Amino acid sequence: MLPFVQVMREADYNKLYDEKYNNSRQRRERRDSRRTRRSDSRDRRHPAQTKRARLKQRMFDRGMGLDLPFLLLVLVLLVIGMIMMFSASFPVAYYNLGDSYYYIKRQAIFAAIGLAAMILLSFFNYNKLHKVSALFIGISWVLLVVVLLVPGDVHRWFAIGNFNVQPSEIAKFSIIVFFAHWGSMYYDKMQYAKYSVLPGLVVFGVTAALLVLEPHFSGIVIIGILTVVMLYLGGMKVRYLVIGLIILFIAVLIAAVTGMLSYAMERMDGWGQALNYTSASDPEMWNTTWQTRNSLYAIGSGGLFGLGLGNSRQKFLYLPEPQNDFVFAIVCEEIGYIGALIILLIFALLVWRGITLSLRSKDRFGKLLGIGLSAQIGIQVVLNILVITDWLPNTGISLPFFSYGGSSLIMLLAQMGLILSISRTANIEKQ
Amino acid sequence: MADNREVRSKKGLLQQLRFRTTVIILLVLVLGFGAIALRLLYLQLVQGPELQEKAVEQQLVDTKLSAKRGTIYDATGKILAQSATVWKVVLAPAYLEKEEQREYVAENLSKILDLDYDNMLEKTKQKSYYVIVKRKIESDERDALLKFIEKLEKKYPELSNVITLFDDYRRYYPYNDLASSVIGFTGSDDQGLEGVEFQYDKYLTGTPGRIITARNANQTDMPFQYEQNVEAKDGNNINLTIDETIQSIAEKYMKQGLKANDVRNRGVCIIMDVNTGGLLACASVDGYNLNKPYDLPKSAKDKISQLPEKKRPEAESAALGAMWRNKAIADTYYPGSVFKMCTASMALNEGTVSDGSTFTCGGSVTIYDHTIHCHELGGHGTQNLFQAITNSCNPAFIAIGQSLGPKKFYKYYQAFGFSEPTGIDLPGEADDQFFNEDGSMSETDLAVASFGQNFSITPIQMITACAAVANGGKVVQPYVVQSITDVDGNVIKTTENTVKRQVISEKVSKQMCDYLERNTTQGGSNNGYIAGYRVGGKTGTSEKLTTTDGTEDYISSFCGFAPADNPRVACLVFFDTPKGPNYYGSLVSAPVFVNVMSEVLPYLEVQAEYSDDEKQYVDTVAGSYVGLSVKKAKAQAKKDGFSVVVKGDGKKVVSQIPTAASKVPSGGNIVLYTDSQSRSEKVTVPNFVGSSVSTVKSLADSNNLNVSIIGASSSSGGISTSQSVPEGKKVDAGTVINVTFGGSSVVHD
Repeated sequence: MLPFVQVMREADYNKLYDEKYNNSRQRRERRDSRRTRRSDSRDRRHPAQTKRARLKQRMFDRGMGLDLPFLLLVLVLLVIGMIMMFSASFPVAYYNLGDSYYYIKRQAIFAAIGLAAMILLSFFNYNKLHKVSALFIGISWVLLVVVLLVPGDVHRWFAIGNFNVQPSEIAKFSIIVFFAHWGSMYYDKMQYAKYSVLPGLVVFGVTAALLVLEPHFSGIVIIGILTVVMLYLGGMKVRYLVIGLIILFIAVLIAAVTGMLSYAMERMDGWGQALNYTSASDPEMWNTTWQTRNSLYAIGSGGLFGLGLGNSRQKFLYLPEPQNDFVFAIVCEEIGYIGALIILLIFALLVWRGITLSLRSKDRFGKLLGIGLSAQIGIQVVLNILVITDWLPNTGISLPFFSYGGSSLIMLLAQMGLILSISRTANIEKQ
Repeated sequence: MADNREVRSKKGLLQQLRFRTTVIILLVLVLGFGAIALRLLYLQLVQGPELQEKAVEQQLVDTKLSAKRGTIYDATGKILAQSATVWKVVLAPAYLEKEEQREYVAENLSKILDLDYDNMLEKTKQKSYYVIVKRKIESDERDALLKFIEKLEKKYPELSNVITLFDDYRRYYPYNDLASSVIGFTGSDDQGLEGVEFQYDKYLTGTPGRIITARNANQTDMPFQYEQNVEAKDGNNINLTIDETIQSIAEKYMKQGLKANDVRNRGVCIIMDVNTGGLLACASVDGYNLNKPYDLPKSAKDKISQLPEKKRPEAESAALGAMWRNKAIADTYYPGSVFKMCTASMALNEGTVSDGSTFTCGGSVTIYDHTIHCHELGGHGTQNLFQAITNSCNPAFIAIGQSLGPKKFYKYYQAFGFSEPTGIDLPGEADDQFFNEDGSMSETDLAVASFGQNFSITPIQMITACAAVANGGKVVQPYVVQSITDVDGNVIKTTENTVKRQVISEKVSKQMCDYLERNTTQGGSNNGYIAGYRVGGKTGTSEKLTTTDGTEDYISSFCGFAPADNPRVACLVFFDTPKGPNYYGSLVSAPVFVNVMSEVLPYLEVQAEYSDDEKQYVDTVAGSYVGLSVKKAKAQAKKDGFSVVVKGDGKKVVSQIPTAASKVPSGGNIVLYTDSQSRSEKVTVPNFVGSSVSTVKSLADSNNLNVSIIGASSSSGGISTSQSVPEGKKVDAGTVINVTFGGSSVVHD
């Protein structure tokens, strides 16, 4: 327990944060007072004064130290994502629910909640998360148990009122927070397997076990990747990683042989061969690969410039659930390869900005947390598009900012809020 | 020291984190994003068109709109085949969700459209939006159906799209069996199956229109209009060279000939414009009703019904095939003596014989060990070329053939167009059958070929060759379609007259026309003579080498042209297997030729020129004397050249026989009636057959009847062979009766 407290004290950057806040307040007061003396020429400013002024100017530009480019990228992606989700979803909403605006109305509410959470969290001192990181893991485990009690074949979410909670979303976040905390706390011991491999195995193992029961294999894959990424960033020796990958390979092999992966395997059936079946030759596989095949049709129909915004044809009940995981297929169909590349570029910029600003964080916890949260978006984008292009089995990985879903969008925006909070400390100039 | 180490390790830690972050960035942003960017590039730009095609395939519903099939006109613009609008009933049973709805729809549809209820109910249960209920319904059924649809909409407003009527077309043939083998008919999908309908299907069909609608995966319409319409483009119209009037004349007399001579295997009459090759008529009789092409004649049905059950379908399709067959181009036959006009032309053109050459006929010739008899067993003695043609002397023509030799004979055979299809624009043209494929022939072959025996050609080839003999030696390509026009009347295609080659010189052609014309004047109607017209022609009787009813089978044919001084039309008459009292071409086919041409030539406005002798046989047109006073009428009629008989006591003429503008032999009797009672008096028709022209005329005079003399020539004298109104029938006084005369001598070739 002792090292934990010590780290807390060492890493208590609240002081710094407060200092930054006070500084900026002082500067603002000073500036306000200067405004009254406008007649002063800037040219005759003292060099030292100029430096201070520039510093002050930048601080002001970034709005309380908040990383404006990152915020802008988040908002741009959110707006594009919502437009595209609406475009993709209105036919299914119209035909299946009788209301074209069914999904977009709900998504707008979720976005509003998420944005509020994001702004709130951007002011939140993320260092407070140290204390609750273990609690988060506990909460997500409890929720993962709770979701198993919901009747049905697949237990991936449960409803609270009108709102669907997907515990695996919370689990993903908890894992990142926990390992960021762990990596910053035991930064000097991470090279030992006891401090890196062991907690990794325990936390991931329990989470994965609960996800197997849901079953939610894509969740396991993402959580596994995130665990590995976080431990790797935290300083785990690469050799453990290699050993781990070998063991994982063997484990998957065994699971596959014993039939534990039957659900995933069923989904993997026809993986990469969606175009090879015909309704006549193999009706069962034709139906199994229906979604992937129609996703490919949609992507292929887009060509270079697309059919035009709103002009997708595949969304007319050909592509099932176009508002969810396969929303990007409709994006490709409507705005073409050029449009898809631009969106990917914005995603890449967001990830890049998130990682680089986090690296500038003053504390290790902020660094690891920010990089982990940013990398999660990148990983999820890659996996999602590999799924809709039939290079990965259809396992249910949503596309951040685009896919319909309350808990995932709110969680996502909350995480963006945390990164923004990290950016506030990162943007404080070195004294 | 310790502090330093800590600082260093902290710095090392930061460096490690920076390095590992770089690795993560590389993995995610470069490898990951690079992979998906490339994957999308491949799918959207390389595989894109293929995927898009598949997507479009499932998204679009293509509804066909029938195009109206083009009309077929005769040479004068009369409609021979036409499409009229009918309707196709299409049901979308997927809208029917309740059992009572299905029953209601099925019950009414089966009642209105006269369909089986259970079958109909089965159709309403299908999960489809396009089930064809009935095709080609006519307007009465449509009206009833529209009423039902209205009722249905009132009862179940959600079922407004369940029944749809699509425009469709049905083919009508106003003249039923006229020119049936030429026109052909269409199948259930409006596709041409025979004749011009088949040959020109591409032009007649038109382009079906399409309604392409985007549908969602449930096959219902999308909420917005997403429709592309391509109007149906109606088919083009076809204008035939066939003239309905000429075709009717030909078919009328062919049917008579068929009946009179008990012909077993149908007959053919082709009338061709010798200069262009266009067919003015092409009759294969008996034809069939184009509106009911699957109805066999009663005799064929009876025959089939006697067969065992198993063999019936086969026999039926064979019978249908035979009925549809265009005998004029699909059947081959031995041309017989008609071919002699070609043999003579060849030899004259080669100069191996000349006008003055003489031939001796002793009744038979022996070639190697084959003895070939002349039809005149006593022999024709010594004859010149013209006489050999008139006598149709086989030994003479064997000598002519021998003078040519097999090689030259075959060369001309090819040049006349016998060795290849004529290329007429009709389906199913048969190939000739020559002795050997390579055109070689033995001396015996040559001998029999010289008079048209033992090789087979089609009737269309024969008339094309005859046209070449008549028209100055040009082998033309026969055709039946003059032009194709689109819906707006623009000409799309016109048949150009194709002269394939010059087979004989104009001089030889002139010489042959002269011979053949003299042949008809010598032989009278038995050789095709028609008073007032200069006709050339040749009879033919060929052995079929088969037997029916225990007697040998023959083909009787006549091929001629007119006017002989400047030929315009050729006509081939051909009866396959006559089993009547006669089988000679001169007695079976020549009279039909004469009858046909006697009507066709005036129709074609060929100027008739009569010799003084012939004038007595010539018909003139009766004037109108009705309404005149008896005195005036008498004077007028006498002035017109008629003898007048007045019946009744009235002062004014109330009616006349023959009626005004009808044809009356010059010097014939006009009966003028002055009251209506006298009209009831009738005259009994006497027997005109077996008498000379003068006897017939006086007999007619004494009975107050008129006779129109057909086929008698001044030089041949002739005996009457038939009369158009049978003996003993009661007719009005003044009625014109056609009496046909045969020649005094009959050529039995």
